Amino acid sequence: MSKTSITRLITAVLVAVMAAQVHSTAAAEPKVLSVARAAPFTSLDPAAGFEQTASDITGLVYGNLLSYSYLDRPYKLVPELLATMPELSADKVVYTMTLRKGVFFHDNKCFEGGKGRELTADDVLYSFKRYADANINHKSWFVMEGAVVGLDAFRADTQKSGKSPDHARVEVAGLQKIDRYRFTIRLTHENPLFLYALAISSTAIVPMEAVRTYGDRFDVNPVGTGPFSLPGPAERKGVLRFVKNAKFYGVYPSGGAPGDRENGLLKAAGQKLPLVDVVEMPLIEEQQPEALRFFNGELDWRALDRANFTRMVVRSGDGTVRLGDEFAAKFNLYSTPGIDLYYFAFNMKDPLLGQNKTLRQALGRLIDTQGYIDVLLNGRGKKLRSLVPLELRGNELETGATYFGYDLAAAKRLLAEAGYPEGKGLPAISMRFPGTSADARDQADFMKAKFAAAGVQLKPDLTDGPTFVKNVEGSNFQMASYSWLADYPDAEDFYQLLYSKNAAPGPGLSSFSNAAYDRAYEASRFMADGVERLRHFKVMNEIVKEEVPLVISRNSVRFGLTQKWLGNFKRNLLTSEVPYLDIDMTRKKKGF
Amino acid sequence: MLFYVVRRLLLAVPTVFGVALLTFLLFNEFGPDPVRTALGQHASPAAIANLRHQWGLDESLLEQFGGFLRQITSFDYGRSFVTGEDLGTQLRSGALVSLSVTAPPFIVGTALNIAIALFITRHRDGVVDRAARVLFVAGMSVSALVYVLILQYGLAYKLGWFPISGYASGLSALPYLGLPWLLLVLIAMGPDIRLYRTIFLDEAQADYVRTARSKGATESAVWGRHVLANAWMPIITNTVTNIPFLILGSFLMERFFSIPGIGSLTIDALGRGDLPVLKAVTILGALALVLFNLLSDLLYASVDPRVQLR
Repeated sequence: MSKTSITRLITAVLVAVMAAQVHSTAAAEPKVLSVARAAPFTSLDPAAGFEQTASDITGLVYGNLLSYSYLDRPYKLVPELLATMPELSADKVVYTMTLRKGVFFHDNKCFEGGKGRELTADDVLYSFKRYADANINHKSWFVMEGAVVGLDAFRADTQKSGKSPDHARVEVAGLQKIDRYRFTIRLTHENPLFLYALAISSTAIVPMEAVRTYGDRFDVNPVGTGPFSLPGPAERKGVLRFVKNAKFYGVYPSGGAPGDRENGLLKAAGQKLPLVDVVEMPLIEEQQPEALRFFNGELDWRALDRANFTRMVVRSGDGTVRLGDEFAAKFNLYSTPGIDLYYFAFNMKDPLLGQNKTLRQALGRLIDTQGYIDVLLNGRGKKLRSLVPLELRGNELETGATYFGYDLAAAKRLLAEAGYPEGKGLPAISMRFPGTSADARDQADFMKAKFAAAGVQLKPDLTDGPTFVKNVEGSNFQMASYSWLADYPDAEDFYQLLYSKNAAPGPGLSSFSNAAYDRAYEASRFMADGVERLRHFKVMNEIVKEEVPLVISRNSVRFGLTQKWLGNFKRNLLTSEVPYLDIDMTRKKKGF
Repeated sequence: MLFYVVRRLLLAVPTVFGVALLTFLLFNEFGPDPVRTALGQHASPAAIANLRHQWGLDESLLEQFGGFLRQITSFDYGRSFVTGEDLGTQLRSGALVSLSVTAPPFIVGTALNIAIALFITRHRDGVVDRAARVLFVAGMSVSALVYVLILQYGLAYKLGWFPISGYASGLSALPYLGLPWLLLVLIAMGPDIRLYRTIFLDEAQADYVRTARSKGATESAVWGRHVLANAWMPIITNTVTNIPFLILGSFLMERFFSIPGIGSLTIDALGRGDLPVLKAVTILGALALVLFNLLSDLLYASVDPRVQLR
């Protein structure tokens, strides 16, 4: 062997050894995903907490019987802890459900030997009874209220006694175990909406050992079957650090909505979830530090606030938006329609506005939603013609709903008909706004100017959140700017806002009472989607347009930024994206 | 002196009672309904009644106020409505964190501001004094929030001298505290130096200073032994009465730098209508103010022999 060959051989061996070392270093390096949380959670006990900040966390740790498909749109329920979708009996009141086999709780000291045991039907029935306990669940009972045989009576008992029973021992007629993996839920009546209750964070399945071990500290010691576990107690402030659950059963979906394949969202199809090793969630309550940490590469994804949207996004003549060139090289832009409704409620108990339909019609035509979207929201919204957000079945495209818009001439005419020509004689109208931010002040000023054009004096009242809630739920308002976020993706959740039995202090802030509306709502409430249900929706749409108990405004469009190294991202407003996300660590380390 | 302390403490009782009554009425009677805030948009009458009962808000106002007074006297403020956490633990850990943010810049800033004020007063109406006056008045007219926004952007994000936000326990907190400390020192400079300059000017024009000079005392002795020594009383008042606010934390710093002190705890409680937290923080703040006012009076006697405590 020549000297050159020996040198080459040694070089090749060295290169191979170094390459192997580099490879092994890269393989050993954990993939860390960082995303900020905007507020401290209240409780990580699924049955007790219901707000978004808690759901974002419990969604990583716990599992539900059903969840929403990550990629499909419109949002679609899919089995999560169940092996298949629930089977409905012929009389449509009994669901038989079968759990996946081989689903294990996280390893935790609450279990024998610290090893998480397999999930069984007993855990599901136990968790549902905890969920129904009035001493534990104050916030989300409405989702299952009146739905399951015996569960309301059980809740009433817990409320009366003022203390929680042993949920593992107490019997509820509507919840019956068949065997280790199967159980039935008997409904009080046919109710297609019930399945949504199985996907909300509050009905996640918890192990009784954790509840017993941690007692009143269970709210910061979550133990579930989810894609990540949380070692040690969770801090309400500071950084939450989740680690991958190697025993998680989930796999990346192999199908999705049109365009997902082209957008590279199916590259990970069939891969075991989660795709990252660690998730870090620092608490950052102010927008500036959150934005700066994202721009610094410390966070992998963030929602885009108004100021940065204006600075970074370019709008084309055809209405499409893209990131400006200097930002497009660094970040990706996403947008998704919210499943929400922004509206202006009239208080129907108000002696002036409640009694004068023509006046409400006039004031409704002074609300310039499109102008507001264009001028103050930079296009981040869609004007609605019915109560139902565009992402849901039963929306205006399906019902063909029509609605009025800003129309100064019509408003003036209607004002005169209402007895207030040019606004003369009309006392100042008070409108409550939630929050005292610059955005809220801008909105108030915008509305004030529009009302003034018709001779109507608007008196904006901007207060902090809790004071606003106290006033509007106590019917202490004339008009109020409000929004409703879907609890579950069904039109019923929005039509209920004008059902007379939901009047304030319930979700129906307007305190609207209309027999024809109530009949249409009750008829459609538990009806499966179809032509007949749409017919009832149309009836309600016409009543809302004519009676104007509220002014329908808009559906939000949410924009955000992701780092270039973040893969598989598609904003999902109903289920956590985190288990599906991947990080290109080489690119992340390289930076911008 | 003991008699004086006891008398002052007894006199503080009606003050604290008045604060307690006002605090109670403000939050329990006129403030937002914590039950409605907690239950959100789906509050049913049964759920409202149930939670009101659990939180003791269905008792008469008198009973509730009695309970609040018991909490004040026993220093046991119960649990947060929202998180269920023990408030004693929360307040203790929060106070330590808040002090780690506010105390070091307060100590350093006070010493620095006294020194600067003394220097510019000694050179009053000179270029340095005029420039400093313009600079500090301009600085005072800018909102503290602007300093936070600009320095967080410039020093942390652009130059990378500090972390943008965050906190860690123990010594690991130091890198995160650097920028809040710098900000607190800067923000306090304008008002403090102007105040101290006025105090020093008053003393510098007093008869005893003229006498000292006429007796041949050096300028250093005049400023160090006479002016500064006689200016301590108002300085002590300003300094000691600020200490309770150090414990209560800096709302702005804690919020913008994600620091888990009492300031951030209070803001969260305000947003959520968490009455026990709000009432505890308010009453503890009042108690601290009363005690530190007493302390400042006691200190007067130690720095000025003319003051007698009766």
